[in-house]
Amino acid sequence: MSFYLPSLRGHASRFLTRPATLTSTPFFSPPTTATTSTQCLFAPSTRAVAFSTTPSPLAPPNAKNKGTGKPGKPGAGGKLKPGSKPAKKKGKGKGKGGEEQIDPRFINMMRHLAVLSPKRIPPPLRMGRNRHLRHWTIHRAWLLFRRRERDARERNLQRQYQSMHAAMEELRLTSGPGTRDEGYLYRVATEKKGVYGLHGVPIEYARAQTETPARVAWNHDWKR
Amino acid sequence: MIKQGPEDQLSQFLSPQLGTLRRRAALATTGSVPFEQLPYQCFQEARKILAQDREEKVAKIIAETAKIRRLEATDASSYRGGEAYKQKRLQSLRQHVEQLKILADINDPMVKRRFEDGKGDMSKPIYRYLAHRKWCSMERKIILQRIAQFHIVPDLLPKFEPTMAVQMFFRTIKASPGATLDSRITETAPTLRMQVFDKGERLISIVVMDADVPDPESNAFSKRLHFMATNITWSPIKDALPLSRLGTDAASPDMGALPVPWLPAFAQKGSPYHRLAVFILEQENNLPLDTAKLQELYDGQGREGFSLKSFRDKFGLLPVGFNMFRTEWDENTADVMARHGIPGADVEFRRPRVMSLKPPRKARGWEAKRQTLKYRHLWKYTKRIKGIKY
Repeated sequence: MSFYLPSLRGHASRFLTRPATLTSTPFFSPPTTATTSTQCLFAPSTRAVAFSTTPSPLAPPNAKNKGTGKPGKPGAGGKLKPGSKPAKKKGKGKGKGGEEQIDPRFINMMRHLAVLSPKRIPPPLRMGRNRHLRHWTIHRAWLLFRRRERDARERNLQRQYQSMHAAMEELRLTSGPGTRDEGYLYRVATEKKGVYGLHGVPIEYARAQTETPARVAWNHDWKR
Repeated sequence: MIKQGPEDQLSQFLSPQLGTLRRRAALATTGSVPFEQLPYQCFQEARKILAQDREEKVAKIIAETAKIRRLEATDASSYRGGEAYKQKRLQSLRQHVEQLKILADINDPMVKRRFEDGKGDMSKPIYRYLAHRKWCSMERKIILQRIAQFHIVPDLLPKFEPTMAVQMFFRTIKASPGATLDSRITETAPTLRMQVFDKGERLISIVVMDADVPDPESNAFSKRLHFMATNITWSPIKDALPLSRLGTDAASPDMGALPVPWLPAFAQKGSPYHRLAVFILEQENNLPLDTAKLQELYDGQGREGFSLKSFRDKFGLLPVGFNMFRTEWDENTADVMARHGIPGADVEFRRPRVMSLKPPRKARGWEAKRQTLKYRHLWKYTKRIKGIKY
């Protein structure tokens, strides 16, 4: 079973080919006990049997693994890395029960490879001819509809913008009320008083504007 | 085995109990309903949107055509730009109308279906547009690659961009562009399937030439004309032209004239592969060429050293289509040449031996260094070596 192949290619091909025997993803969910025990029993390598720690009711009673009953950590379902030594028993720490630690970079890589697996990418749509033509018709109509909506919205926005622009221009050239000179109304209309809250200023003005702001805004622990 | 066929046929293989009641009812009652009236709600709604769009486009076409007519009736002096402005405006309006014609029909599923079945009417702009798009998707790219990789462009023409599709069939077998063909296959002229994508009839000429004829006197390669046909009437609705039928009694008058008949493609032994290029050239202003003059110029001895560029310039032709194949010496070439009375089947070409310009080298190596009297005690190892004489 390619699950035990130490090379990366074995894992990648396993991801991409999806064998029928094993359906759960080994790195993200712990394998079911039944599957693992089968692997333990029929695995050609004795090492794999001896150091598999997943609890299994089907395992021989004299097998060394004393299962804790907890499911293995994600990515640690009885995996053996190439060149990894048998884990020694430690009194404390994460390696309790002799579990293998997988390189997080490896997990990360497999996670990215898994995106390409046929599990994630849906198969192409297969349809009969008439059905495909109907699908195509609906698709074209949908594109047309969206385009029409977009055009209408853009036209409306443009109209609003131009109308606003004309109004401001009119204000700028108007003098009054009373003895006020030309442009007074424009200045008053474009004031931003109250826009950022009552008596408010934009929060950006709270500090000096720089090209390269500090990563840490304020060092509270600083002492002379 | 997977059974294929329309839905109502396939449903006969199923048990009558299979499928939902709704599906069974639909299959039982919609067998005779035409595709466009199938009672699928979303499909019908989509068709409504598309029909509305088509109506808008048609109304636009009518408006634009009226505009064109009005513009044509107006005197050019009433515009500030004068006649040039009027012509430019007319041209752009006509182009716009052509675009609208395509846009009006491009969303029609029946048009798509007819085009995919090869039943499109090429006199209509939408089918020509679809055919052009299909040609550009792959065939044109291949032809462009052949033009580049076989150096057709600097060798035969200084500049060339094909605008029509040309396929070549030798005895109903399609020859892919650039394929090396057996000389017995190319003994008879091919049938060309040509598709032009712009409307209207035009007169075309067809030229097949060999670009790699070895010329031992000048130690170079020259060109040779293998076939030339002119004054062929062609239009988008026409499909195939059997070149072997030109010039015979079976030829119709719109198949034009045959100044230079087919000479089988051949390559003498030892010469590298010959590129046989098929060019389609459009005649200027659809005026027919003088066949007698062409025959006098290019038939017989005129075949040798044919230059496509000078032919193009002399008669005002525009190269529009291209295809090619290659030929090499093979076991049938001698027979083909004998059958058609072509001399030179017994000639074999060889590259001339180029002698090195470097002076001869002194002998080198351990033994060569130890030939002198000083190494007399080693002579038993360094003298009398078999095959080497110092």
